[in-house]
Amino acid sequence: MSILRLSHVEIRVPDLELATAYYSEVVGLIETAREPERVFLKCWDEHQHHSVVLSYAPTHGLRHFGFKVTDASDLDLYQGRLEAAGLAVRRFDKGECGPGHGQAIRFALPSGHEMELVHGMEQVGNMLPRTNPPPRPMGLTGMAPPRIDHIFLTAEEVDTVTAFLVGTLGFRLTEQVVGDDGFQIATWLEVSHTSHDIALITGPNAGLHHFAFWVDDWNEIRAAADTCAYHGVHIETNPTRHGATRGQCLYFFDPCGNRNEVFTGGYWADPDAEPTTWTEAEMGRALFYYDGVVNQRFLTVHT
Amino acid sequence: MGILRLSHVDITVTDLDLACAYYTKVIGMTEVRRTTDSAYLKCWDEADHHSLRLTYAPRVGFDLMSFKVEHPDDLAEFETAVTRYGFPVQRVSRGTSVGQGESIRFETPSGHVMELVHDVEKVGGALPKLNPRPFVVNRGGADGIAPPRMDHVLVTAEEVGDATRFYAGVLGFRLTEQLLDGNGHQIGAWMERSHTPHDLAVVAGPNGGLHHFAFWLDDWDHVRTAADILAYNGISVDVGPTRHGITRGSTIYFFDPLGTRNEVFTGGYRPDPDFPTITWTEDNAGRAIFYYEGALNDRFMKVHT
Repeated sequence: MSILRLSHVEIRVPDLELATAYYSEVVGLIETAREPERVFLKCWDEHQHHSVVLSYAPTHGLRHFGFKVTDASDLDLYQGRLEAAGLAVRRFDKGECGPGHGQAIRFALPSGHEMELVHGMEQVGNMLPRTNPPPRPMGLTGMAPPRIDHIFLTAEEVDTVTAFLVGTLGFRLTEQVVGDDGFQIATWLEVSHTSHDIALITGPNAGLHHFAFWVDDWNEIRAAADTCAYHGVHIETNPTRHGATRGQCLYFFDPCGNRNEVFTGGYWADPDAEPTTWTEAEMGRALFYYDGVVNQRFLTVHT
Repeated sequence: MGILRLSHVDITVTDLDLACAYYTKVIGMTEVRRTTDSAYLKCWDEADHHSLRLTYAPRVGFDLMSFKVEHPDDLAEFETAVTRYGFPVQRVSRGTSVGQGESIRFETPSGHVMELVHDVEKVGGALPKLNPRPFVVNRGGADGIAPPRMDHVLVTAEEVGDATRFYAGVLGFRLTEQLLDGNGHQIGAWMERSHTPHDLAVVAGPNGGLHHFAFWLDDWDHVRTAADILAYNGISVDVGPTRHGITRGSTIYFFDPLGTRNEVFTGGYRPDPDFPTITWTEDNAGRAIFYYEGALNDRFMKVHT
């Protein structure tokens, strides 16, 4: 029927052991599979096999990101649409992209990002029984977010990529920062009725600004900051609030230099909801509402 | 395509002024429109015309539950599907209902009147669409609890299994959790369309009954603030603040001054459409409903409207 939500991100790490230790012990993900050069991890409440893949490479950054579709036939539907739009689409059988992986198609966004649509990833279950389950598992490690939430990319032409995501893939625009010249500086888009599943900000093509884990509330954001501080993880911005999305957040870096976020809040978005617009003068508040000024490091550091 | 979420709940009240005072001052909803015998209210973050209709009647009751569909063509599809199932469908033409266009209505196997609607008048949320601040002021203050939106409805049915088969099989609701008695019969079913733990739930009880409807709150801190406001206003609290086993949500149940049960709810999880259903057994019913108490109270089981 459609694209459902962010499924997974595959990121490059120059030190696989260090990255695995960080994502499993500080973030608190669960390792589900390992290859010589890749480690597959999931959040505790996720049923599917993986949501974060660490891939050995000489540098950091994004290899690809995947969105889950509701039906296998969606892959044909979107392959047709993408090819009609002139894109090269590659198709992968179940398991071909890695352990537990489903059927997938991959293609490059106009910004050069490698995007995947996937169906039928192996369901490994969350950490709770299906009969009379407690509301959460005990003994979780680190921040222990229940699930991955969204991805934020950089692109030279935010307008072009946004129009592609809306027109070809059916994403819906929830918020935008529009420059004084009338071009979009940043956009937030959703398919899951949340404030955003993917967002774009002006920067180099194919860049990863960050990916985010969901946590349940503001108290968990503070607890995540405690966890970062305890482990000596570099916190970029203290617990704060976004204007755009209304979410509450904490930004920090993995030991290989990829930016992570824990995020909560936001709102329910109907498919016909009118997008919110931020002017360039208010961009500081759009990004960090309490500070109200544009944080240059936040805009210029990406992977 | 299909049902998107709960749109509005229509209830009857024996004192319209008292009910309006409660839903605006204590809950913190906005009165959008008042007619001779009805009031239409919405939560601050809702852009649609209303999520609650109060109508004067000599007794407290439940007129209908209305769900919003994603596409205009969905109405015709559901009209066909429900008719084929054997339940007559009434088309309600544009101009008949306040704040919305055409809809379809039908009685469900659980004896409830259900409405499906797509075309709803937009009145806008409380925040502007240009450079909005990310919150409303006075949340939890003078304007009451101020939930951002309506969340779900829980109804009662004599045959929960039959009702669930209809809601799932004909209307496309997905079963997230169920409570089974010792014989394997459903005595409770929680169903979703919006990738939340539930938009509609059915528990054993008389056909046509309303157990409660619930407002969404953003977090557990807001649930505590809601409890403060309820206590300050002398509202009769049924249960909570506490935690559900089913849905994992955090909650308070309480009664409006005319006797309809309300809930404030937060938490839960995000089920995909292929989410494997969670089952609760009757011997765990206490924890299923109230995880901390581990037991149900009689009032919770028996009082509905």
